Amino acid sequence: MMLPLVFLPLVSIFVFGMRNGLDKFWGALTAQEAVFALKLSMATSFWATVFNVLFGLFAAYVMSRYNFWGRNALIVTISLPTAIPTAVAGFALLLLWGPYGTLGRFLAPHGIQVMFTAGAIILANIFVTFPLAFGVIKPVFDTMNRSLEEASATIGATRWQTFWYVTLPSLRGAIVSGALLTFARAVGEFGSTILVSGNLAGRTQTAPLYIFAKFNEGQIEAANAIAIVLALFSFLIFSVLFFARDWLDVD
Amino acid sequence: MSTEENVLKAKQKLIEDHDPSTASTTASAQKATSVVGVSKRFGKTSVLENISFDVAEGEALVLLGASGSGKTTILRIIAGLEQPYTGHVILHGRDVTELPARERGVGVIFQSYALFPKMTVEKNIGYGLKIRKRRRKEIRETVNELLSLVQLEEHRKKFPSQLSGGQQQRVAIARTLAYKPEVLLFDEPFGALDTQTRVHLRREIRALLRKVNVPAIFITHDQEEALELGDRVAVIYKGHIEQIGTPFEIYNQPATEYVATFLGAANILEGVVRNNSVEVGPARLSVQLDKQKFKDGECVKIIFRPEDVSLSKTDFVRPGHHKLSTAVIEEVSFVGAYERLRLQLDKGATDACATDDSAFFLTTETPEARSTQSIIATRPKPEATITKLNAGERVVVAITSFTVLPLNQKQPNQK
Repeated sequence: MMLPLVFLPLVSIFVFGMRNGLDKFWGALTAQEAVFALKLSMATSFWATVFNVLFGLFAAYVMSRYNFWGRNALIVTISLPTAIPTAVAGFALLLLWGPYGTLGRFLAPHGIQVMFTAGAIILANIFVTFPLAFGVIKPVFDTMNRSLEEASATIGATRWQTFWYVTLPSLRGAIVSGALLTFARAVGEFGSTILVSGNLAGRTQTAPLYIFAKFNEGQIEAANAIAIVLALFSFLIFSVLFFARDWLDVD
Repeated sequence: MSTEENVLKAKQKLIEDHDPSTASTTASAQKATSVVGVSKRFGKTSVLENISFDVAEGEALVLLGASGSGKTTILRIIAGLEQPYTGHVILHGRDVTELPARERGVGVIFQSYALFPKMTVEKNIGYGLKIRKRRRKEIRETVNELLSLVQLEEHRKKFPSQLSGGQQQRVAIARTLAYKPEVLLFDEPFGALDTQTRVHLRREIRALLRKVNVPAIFITHDQEEALELGDRVAVIYKGHIEQIGTPFEIYNQPATEYVATFLGAANILEGVVRNNSVEVGPARLSVQLDKQKFKDGECVKIIFRPEDVSLSKTDFVRPGHHKLSTAVIEEVSFVGAYERLRLQLDKGATDACATDDSAFFLTTETPEARSTQSIIATRPKPEATITKLNAGERVVVAITSFTVLPLNQKQPNQK
């Protein structure tokens, strides 16, 4: 069952990619637009990850330490992007930030264009990966022994010292895996980015968009080269998550 | 004077007190920790009512109570992890009621030890000095001293999860001693350990505390632990202190029926005060009573422990023994270190205080057990071996000591 459904498609990427020899593969990979697309994907995903990890950390802290009215509603809202189709997410962003959008229409007269830029890609990445880091970090906060923080306080630490020396080290594993998940998800994002980026080659074209564009143009080799890179990249992140678990959770 | 100066002064004093040569009469007489009129409410429920006690320098006080009695809340209030509704916490003369936990300088040994899992033993112990921005050299020296004090030198590079429960506890204590705490607070320190380790560890901790001379407050629900650990014991019941005193006083002169029954098995009989004696059924127990407290004809409870009961087959009452009654042995059971007997007391003359037709009644261990006229007696092994007693035999019952408490609920039947 697994063979035709999961394994063979992956194998075929590599088989087809290498069919014309490594030279061709390398040539396709180092094409200017291809390199740009990969770099853009990495950069936008990086910033989206930074934002979502910091936000996820903060939100998880607040949601698990304080009980306030509407907390559960807020948790559901934060987690919502998981369930929304990415094309819908991209469309929603367009409606808000686009030149005729709810907010965008006030920015457009000042020459501020949010959509169809790298910034738009980051916004889309943030939106679709929003709950990932939060979802990984919050359970760790929930199960954390409160007396550790109380002990730190009675020993004489300020809140900040307690967070830095006691709370954060216990969250290390969750933060790293949350970041990797977010990053992997953002690099592969397609549905929302194709709507908000404008898909301009060499300007707002991310790696998945590049694959799509080259495939449409019939340049299978160019698409295939990037596909191999993305597949290997996902495989790498997954391996890190899988094998580094012991290291991440070390006591 | 600023808070920092206060802290410094208190610390300085503590350092001096650590040195036995300077621990003069003034220091030993001074109150290290005082809790004054503390009460606490959670919502509308009152959990503590007007709690006051002092702990002297180097003294160990045990707060003993059942779960839900409020003893943990007292500890958390002293530590600053909980705010009192009314009252004050005073550490070495400094009112710290308004201060947050981190500015109080108390050492809390949590039930779970709360060691930082990602830090080694060394780092855990040095944490208090590190956040106080002390020099590396000073931290290293203090950590070394403490490691040797708690005998964990060879475990310094280990993480808490690699240590046994007892070792973790010693790390937790060393971690607080590093910053010279005003007082050490132990929250159910042996709750998570098996009986053997528990007995061993509490002796170890007792010895350690004598060495460092830091005042300590323990919390426990285990009466045996309380009697062994404490210089004094405070029995907490439903948010107030029932009695505070030395283990001897608490055990032998309980102030209330609750204290008597919480600290072990207790027989409780009713009697009437008749000039310098208490009439219990047919017996007259002569006793010196506070005339202010007990009036002639007043109904009282007399409380005595199973080991205060002396049994003999003849009517000869040894000096110092109070003859109580004759009785039939209902049951003899062997419980390891001693022999335990249940006795049915012979019904005597009608008791002036009895509300039912029984002249005697009893409680053992829990107030709910009060129903029959039997009492519990224990005999040490040598006596049990020499004088065999069997169920069904008749014996003369005498008691060697007892406590008289007022019986507030009942008025004497006037005859």
